[in-house]
Amino acid sequence: MTDWIRMAAPAALVASLTAPAHAVQYLSIPQAQKLAFPAATRFAPEGGRAWKAQAGDRVLGLFVVDHVIGKHLYIDYAVAIDPGGRIHRVDILQYRESYGGEVRDASWLAQFVGKSSGSALRVGQDIRNISGATLSSHHVTEGVKRILAAYGSRAR
Amino acid sequence: MAAAPAELRRAQPLLGTFVEIAASGAPGDVEAAIEAAFGTIARVHRLMSFHEPESDVSRLNRAAGANAVAVDPWTFEVLEAAVDLGRRSAGAFDVSVAPVLQAMGRLPRHGDGESAELAPGRGPAIELMAGHTVRLRDARVRIDLGGIAKGYAVDRAVAVLVQCGAAQGVVNAGGDLKVFGPRPQAIHLRDPRDPRVILDRVEIARGALASSGGRADPVHSWQADTPCVIDPSRATPADTIAGASVMAASCMIADALTKIVMIRGEAAGALLAELGAAALLVSAEGQVSASRDWPGAASHAA
Repeated sequence: MTDWIRMAAPAALVASLTAPAHAVQYLSIPQAQKLAFPAATRFAPEGGRAWKAQAGDRVLGLFVVDHVIGKHLYIDYAVAIDPGGRIHRVDILQYRESYGGEVRDASWLAQFVGKSSGSALRVGQDIRNISGATLSSHHVTEGVKRILAAYGSRAR
Repeated sequence: MAAAPAELRRAQPLLGTFVEIAASGAPGDVEAAIEAAFGTIARVHRLMSFHEPESDVSRLNRAAGANAVAVDPWTFEVLEAAVDLGRRSAGAFDVSVAPVLQAMGRLPRHGDGESAELAPGRGPAIELMAGHTVRLRDARVRIDLGGIAKGYAVDRAVAVLVQCGAAQGVVNAGGDLKVFGPRPQAIHLRDPRDPRVILDRVEIARGALASSGGRADPVHSWQADTPCVIDPSRATPADTIAGASVMAASCMIADALTKIVMIRGEAAGALLAELGAAALLVSAEGQVSASRDWPGAASHAA
């Protein structure tokens, strides 16, 4: 039988991430275009944040960039649509969390991370891997659906 | 000029959350490895999603109480693990609680009625047969692999990365993650009650960590909703534990064990030990406890 150790970390003492948290930049628009349509020789602007991927005269599909901006979350994402009007792939370009409010960085956490109390923990730098509450991707999924409805027929 | 080892990070929305893959290795290899790993996760999503009408899970649910269904070997493997963990946990781990989640609006109904009724005699709901064939014994049974498939997808994706020559990396599917390669990685754990707050930091080399707790949609608010792990003995959400994280060699095992810890609390200790896993849990009252082999547990004892 495993025994359990009560941790000296009542909720009020644990550290908070700082505000504003840094962005994680995954891909630039040109990098994402190349990933989505590696054979493309040209991305012709289609107005707004849409590009037609072409190999010579042949249309390979449509590439659209959109974002979700919430109170505490900013996500830039790219949707690639094939000529049949189907989703080819979706990539996150940039992800940023923000917190607002005051910052607290308790010594309890600072002792692990070698940071002085009060110094900032930044997502993407000090914090690269996070577990815990699962963040829903619902809004991106809804955004992808809207993009497909608006652009699906224009990918030919 | 010889190409220096590249470290790449990519993210895609899959499995209902954000899946992030970070890997390093030879530049061309690592790009292709990450592409292949996302392909693997997308395949698990297609096979095991409750939401996708053509997934193995949806086909099984439609055939519940009627005919047997041939499923993909991957789906079969997950179902075998689910049945085994159900047995080991004396029924705490149960993938057939989907009707409760449907009644709560957490899963789509797909034309099912309003009833949150679970099939009676709920031990052997799933019959595993030769040739990757599966039958759900009762017409009321609806399975949802949401509590285990994410971990399985992470394990599969790591295997693909390694096979494709990536030297080091992390696959993180909404907090269910696995680390591979020689260098340990720091993992920060969000507080299940407030995702802005970091509860602990652990280092992992060659192993997995998964968490269950509230689900947040920070587009509107950081407010995490009530954890939604169903206690099959009561057909209601487990409410004594606010969140749990589990470390294990396999992410699938870690993922499933988080549900068992959410339901059984500290009584899950024996099963954790049996499976070589360690856990950190936060009770509904805010008490943080760790199993003895959780990294750093002894030095942070109360």
